[in-house]
Parts: sequence; structure tokens; C-alpha cells
Amino acid sequence: MRLYDIVVLLTPDLSEDEAAKVTADYRKILADGGAEIVRDESWGRRRMAYPIGRKREAVYHLFVAKAQPALVAELERRMRLSDQVLRHLAVRSDEETKRAAKMAERIRKKHAKRPPRPPAPPTAPAAEPEPMPPSGGEA
Amino acid sequence: MTAMPSRGGGGRSGSREGKPSTRKKFFVRRRKVCKFCAEKIEYVDWKDVKLLQSFIPERGKILPRRISGTCALHQRKLQTAIKRARAIALLPYATD
Repeated sequence: MRLYDIVVLLTPDLSEDEAAKVTADYRKILADGGAEIVRDESWGRRRMAYPIGRKREAVYHLFVAKAQPALVAELERRMRLSDQVLRHLAVRSDEETKRAAKMAERIRKKHAKRPPRPPAPPTAPAAEPEPMPPSGGEA
Repeated sequence: MTAMPSRGGGGRSGSREGKPSTRKKFFVRRRKVCKFCAEKIEYVDWKDVKLLQSFIPERGKILPRRISGTCALHQRKLQTAIKRARAIALLPYATD
């Protein structure tokens, strides 16, 4: 099982209910395929940064799920076939996040190791600079 | 003729003297720090439009790290994140 971030862009022509129905379909595919859905967020209608298929906005929906690769492939296939999907993106994210966590850990360790500086170096305080004797040439 | 402070003097020679600013050789350059290192963001999330947007100037290009100060590692991650965000129209490929 791998962790995937899957984002779908649906046509803005759909009503809210219709859009919900389409995402419910995909949710069902994931669930039936034995995936564990971690996040399931609707971002709602958003303006796109550039037009896709003459449309300037889209209904965004995000799934984050632990799934088998084959299942995601199947899901993507269906998204590609659907007329209601303007675009989709499925990205595997477990390796990246794991690596990031590891790095964070390493950084934390490094920081943890450094701070406990040896308690006040013993060399320093002893040598108190002697005040310069007022330079007087008295023999 | 006024004495020119020697060039190689490690910068400490006579710069703080009263002379009004006839020379603009030195201006204070703020040290740039990688934003991701500073804020301990290890995973650059491509869904975080607000964060990515700060690395996209008006034209829509990716801000080079010589300007943003991002470290090499994070610039690489940022690059893929921005490209992914572009693919789903969260960010523009180009604007004018």
C-alpha cells in the first residue's frame, strides 16, 4: 500500500449535487478497492490559473489515500474517460514525506546534540586581567 | 588629495569616519536565508498554493534561488511542487 495524493478537477457546469455525486463515485472506487482514505476534502469551486477546455473555473476535490498502485491506475483511467473531469493528478507521496520526516529528525538531533555546551570553560575565569599599573617611571 | 583607504584592508579602515557618503561602494546586503530551512518546512506541499505563490513573480516564472535565497535542496523540491501545482491549474505556466 502506498500513499497517494489525488486531485480531480470537475467541470464547473455541474451543480453542487452532481459534483458531489461524481466525487462519491470515486470515493466508492477507492473504498471498494481496499484503499484507506486518509483525507477527503472538497476545495469547492476555484478559479483556475489558466483556462482548461474554455473553462475558467473548476470544482476541485482532493483525496489522500493509502492504496494499491493498480487501484490508482484504475481510478485514473476512469477519470481520463470521464467528460466531467477536466484534469486530474495522482502523485505518490509516501516516499517524499518519509524522507522529509527523516530529515526533520536528523536536523532535530543535530540541534539537540549541540546546545549543551560544556559548562563554562575552566580556563577563562581564572585569568583576570591585571589592571595596568599607572605608568610611572619610579625606580 | 584625501587619502584613499586601502582596498584590501578588510573593510574596517576608515569607513565609519565622518565623510559624507560620496562613495556608494558598500550598501548593506541583507543575508538571505532559505525560507524552508528557517521555518523547518521539510515537505514542500504542492497543494499549498499560498506558500508556492510567494515564489512566483508576476510573470509566472519560478523565482531563482539567487534571488529568493532558497537552499539548493529546497529549491529542487520547490521546483517539482510548483510544476505539479501548474499541472492542475493552481498556478500559471505563464502570464503577461
